[in-house]
Amino acid sequence: MRNGKVDAIVIGAGHNGLICAAYLARAGKKVLVLERRHLVGGAAVTEEIVPGFKFSEFSYVVSLLRPEIIRELDLPGHGLQILPLESTVTPMLDGNYLAAWGDHDETRRELYRHSPLDADAYDEFGILMHHMAHAVKPIIGMMPPDPTSLSPRELLSLGKLGGHMRSLGARKFYALHKLMTMSSADYLDEWFETDVLKATKSASGIIGTFMGPRSPGSAYVLLHHYMGEIDGAFRAWGFQKGGTGGVSDAIAGAAKRLGAEIKLEAPVGRVIVKNGRASGVALENGDEYHADIVVSGLDPKRTFLKLVEERELPGDFVANIKRFKTRGSSGKVNLALSELPRLTCMEPENIARWKGVPIPPERYLRGAISISPTMDYVERAYDDAKHGSFSKRPYMDVVIPSMIDPEMAPPGQHVMSIFCQYAPFAIEGGWDDAKREAFGDAVIDALAVHAPNIKSAIIARQVLTPADIERITGLTEGNIFQGELALDQLFFLRPAPGYAKYRTPVDGFYQCGSGTHPGGGIMGASGRLAALTILGERS
Amino acid sequence: MTYDVIVVGGGLAGLTSAALLAKAGRRVVVLERRAVLGGLHSTDEVAPGVRGDAVAHDIGWIPSSVMKTLGLDERALALLRPDPSAVSLLPGGKTLTLWTDPARTASELQRHSPNDARAWRGFGERVARLAGFLQAIYEGPAPEPLASGATELLSMLGLGRKVRSLGGAGIIDLLRTLPMSVADVLDETFEHPALKGLVAASGVTRLVQGPKSGATAFLLVHHHVGAPPGAIGARLIARGGLGALANALAESARAAGAEIRTGSAVTQIVTTEDGVKGVVLAGGDEIAASTLLSTLDPRRTLHGLIDPIYIDPELSQAIGAVKYRGACAKVNLVLDRLPALSEELLRGALVVAPDMGYLERAFDAAKYGAISERPYLEARIPTLHDASLAPAGRHVMSVLVQWVPYRLRGASWDGARREALGDLVVDTLGDVLPGFRERVVARQVLTPKDLEDRYGATEGSLTHGELTLDQVLFMRPVPGLSRHATPISGLYLAGPGTHPGSSIASAARAAAAMGAAKRRPFPRPRGDRVPLTR
Repeated sequence: MRNGKVDAIVIGAGHNGLICAAYLARAGKKVLVLERRHLVGGAAVTEEIVPGFKFSEFSYVVSLLRPEIIRELDLPGHGLQILPLESTVTPMLDGNYLAAWGDHDETRRELYRHSPLDADAYDEFGILMHHMAHAVKPIIGMMPPDPTSLSPRELLSLGKLGGHMRSLGARKFYALHKLMTMSSADYLDEWFETDVLKATKSASGIIGTFMGPRSPGSAYVLLHHYMGEIDGAFRAWGFQKGGTGGVSDAIAGAAKRLGAEIKLEAPVGRVIVKNGRASGVALENGDEYHADIVVSGLDPKRTFLKLVEERELPGDFVANIKRFKTRGSSGKVNLALSELPRLTCMEPENIARWKGVPIPPERYLRGAISISPTMDYVERAYDDAKHGSFSKRPYMDVVIPSMIDPEMAPPGQHVMSIFCQYAPFAIEGGWDDAKREAFGDAVIDALAVHAPNIKSAIIARQVLTPADIERITGLTEGNIFQGELALDQLFFLRPAPGYAKYRTPVDGFYQCGSGTHPGGGIMGASGRLAALTILGERS
Repeated sequence: MTYDVIVVGGGLAGLTSAALLAKAGRRVVVLERRAVLGGLHSTDEVAPGVRGDAVAHDIGWIPSSVMKTLGLDERALALLRPDPSAVSLLPGGKTLTLWTDPARTASELQRHSPNDARAWRGFGERVARLAGFLQAIYEGPAPEPLASGATELLSMLGLGRKVRSLGGAGIIDLLRTLPMSVADVLDETFEHPALKGLVAASGVTRLVQGPKSGATAFLLVHHHVGAPPGAIGARLIARGGLGALANALAESARAAGAEIRTGSAVTQIVTTEDGVKGVVLAGGDEIAASTLLSTLDPRRTLHGLIDPIYIDPELSQAIGAVKYRGACAKVNLVLDRLPALSEELLRGALVVAPDMGYLERAFDAAKYGAISERPYLEARIPTLHDASLAPAGRHVMSVLVQWVPYRLRGASWDGARREALGDLVVDTLGDVLPGFRERVVARQVLTPKDLEDRYGATEGSLTHGELTLDQVLFMRPVPGLSRHATPISGLYLAGPGTHPGSSIASAARAAAAMGAAKRRPFPRPRGDRVPLTR
């Protein structure tokens, strides 16, 4: 292969790069994927950081992987196996708790304990969100139209979009407008009165963003929780058996089966551009590979500001990419545990005190633990971050993968994944070892408030700040979505106006990462739509 | 005496719509609860022998169509646009000044940051371009994206044409900028903290959001509708206080035949199945009319004055969900000497917002129901434009202080808290204006609760509902009511709580919706309204 020529080169073996490669290979192209690290997956990897303990090091749950991709690439045949995440328990500051279950009626009964009004509203809310998710789904699956173009094709596409919006009817149209423009706190205030319910729901509206729950624009992400469900393939959130890396392995397996070649430890240094056309890539060691199609799965800043010479790109495009916001806001703490945590709020005598339904630990520990006791708690976590430090008391989404897949840890022992927010990339004075450990301590302390045995149960811990995420995965500023999911960076603005359709100013050079529409999470839509664009097919 | 139209509220909106309707031949009566006209824009006695702007001390936009129709000119309205537009009061007695002439501002910026000086003109042009587009929308009825029918489609097409006339780059800039935070916009453009703080203030003023909150860039643009291009922060004031503007509009209304009654508080809007029948006044008197325009805020009108049986529960719920959230208190100070600053600078708006971090921290307190310990202030000295407001040698200073929550957490507004707020304002100004404290000889403090009790502003909101993207255009005040007609036949809404969110412009839109432009019967309310919150 050295110095050989292929049809297409994909830079980066993250899930979108692999999906793009698989679709290109499926169409008969000879594809080479070049990955900097020793394993595929990008931020969707499983690594045995502590002997015997497998960590879904970064991305830890799967929710939105497009069903058409699962089907078209036969991912279950290559090892995709999503195990449902069944519940969420939110411990409260007064010892009470809120639980939500996969079973709607069970959730409703639990909610009734907090507020009969909310229990009723919960049904109505769920139905509307379900409808809204359906309304948004076609937009996520479509190529973003260019609102500035007067070409008949673009006008038709815009007209279709307009027709779709109008066909929603008043109720859904106005609800969608509100979801796009309101803060999650305000939106939830219109529906519910139970603070802990609103806090837990709103927390999902801030994941990966640099916004607080009271900032307009945060409501939209609420919808995402309802997106996974509508496809009927699996519940909203789940684990991949063997850790998130298993998703990447399944896609890589499918790609290889279709004929793609994946080369590890092959860091690309630059894209070779001749006369305004991409003709291949050069590795950092100088090796060159040639192809008429080059696709980058890296984030837009890394793609255009590091791999391509600035003189090959229009000035306003470079300016747009430079101002594309990639502020990392979250960190990750992975723990190897000698025993399971015990949540004070879930002890039988406490549950009895609050007149709840007793739940055995082996049940609720199979789900998520959300550390979002009040709306103010989450908002104050943001306050710390916007003023330049990590949250003293962070919002956390805690899961114990070994409860669902015992092979993740040695018998009797466990792994715990803690997603924590906020940990700003641009922390005052920059991240260093002392700050990383202080952040890790803050996370453990905040968890120990609700699970006092956690400290003594820790065998080992891995603390990942946004700076670490950038260093290891290459994601600029450690932004987990390759660029913030804010209204000014979505759809035809993602990552830059005029270049939202996976093309770039350089002929033959394409982008397929989650920095393009629709972006975010292990969804894969960007990789698939990019491949379809390259192949000249419509979505 | 019988009337065609009863206008409830003698503020700028009520007087403007009365004048426009009377000019179109309607017999109009305006009912104002207070003894003076102007509502939030009145000139009141703020201390014995001293008058000043009661609450608001400037306005943003008077559509030229209103001026033209009513035959008004700025001189008759006693309007002027102070230059400088805004002066940032910085620690150590330093200042940063925005002038209405962008070239002059740029040369001022030169000594702070040559980069910002270079970027200033382009920024002013950009804001003017975006504001020009909003103005084009604001001058027509609220766009109704779901409406059907040829007229509606034509109007949507017209809107599409307006968007396209911006050009490709303009469209992108519009769609991209409006949902952004003003902090992100300014961070992309400027580097000097004081400049960013001063401009960011325009994006958060009267709003319970900080500069880093989404869509505050929209508010920045909204505030520049009608402003001269490049004049960032420029606002209109009235010589003699904004009450002079109210009085001039009242004169115009009377000249056109409208009757204006002060001291007439409406306690009920009488309705039947067929629609509006008239009003009941506080003394028990009744006035009959089949058409009524309320310039009170939508919640006060629909929840406060009408028998709930006539309001669809879904509409009622939507009205209840409108975000009001007053952000400001008002402090009027009487000074025995001008503050220690050049008189030229004192003629502009004096702003305490030294940088965006300061604003952000000031906003944080309001999220938790507390008063900012270091608040954002905006002050004007109306006596510099009309000395007759105060006895010789004295000056009145009008200060809007933000963020001051309407609902204090774990406390309620009382005399002690009101006085503490007054002290806070004097101290904050004292920190940036040497010797200021000693010059204050009297003061009046109006909390958001006072603004509600005295001026009828729900939750103390000076804009009759927050100006956020979810509450503008076809969403203002709620879906289905953005064209001013309500499901109750004959009942119309105006005031800043309705599209486009500015007293006089909203009144003009309402009057147009009532057919003031054409001498024909009042249009029936549309039957296809779909008010929904959820």
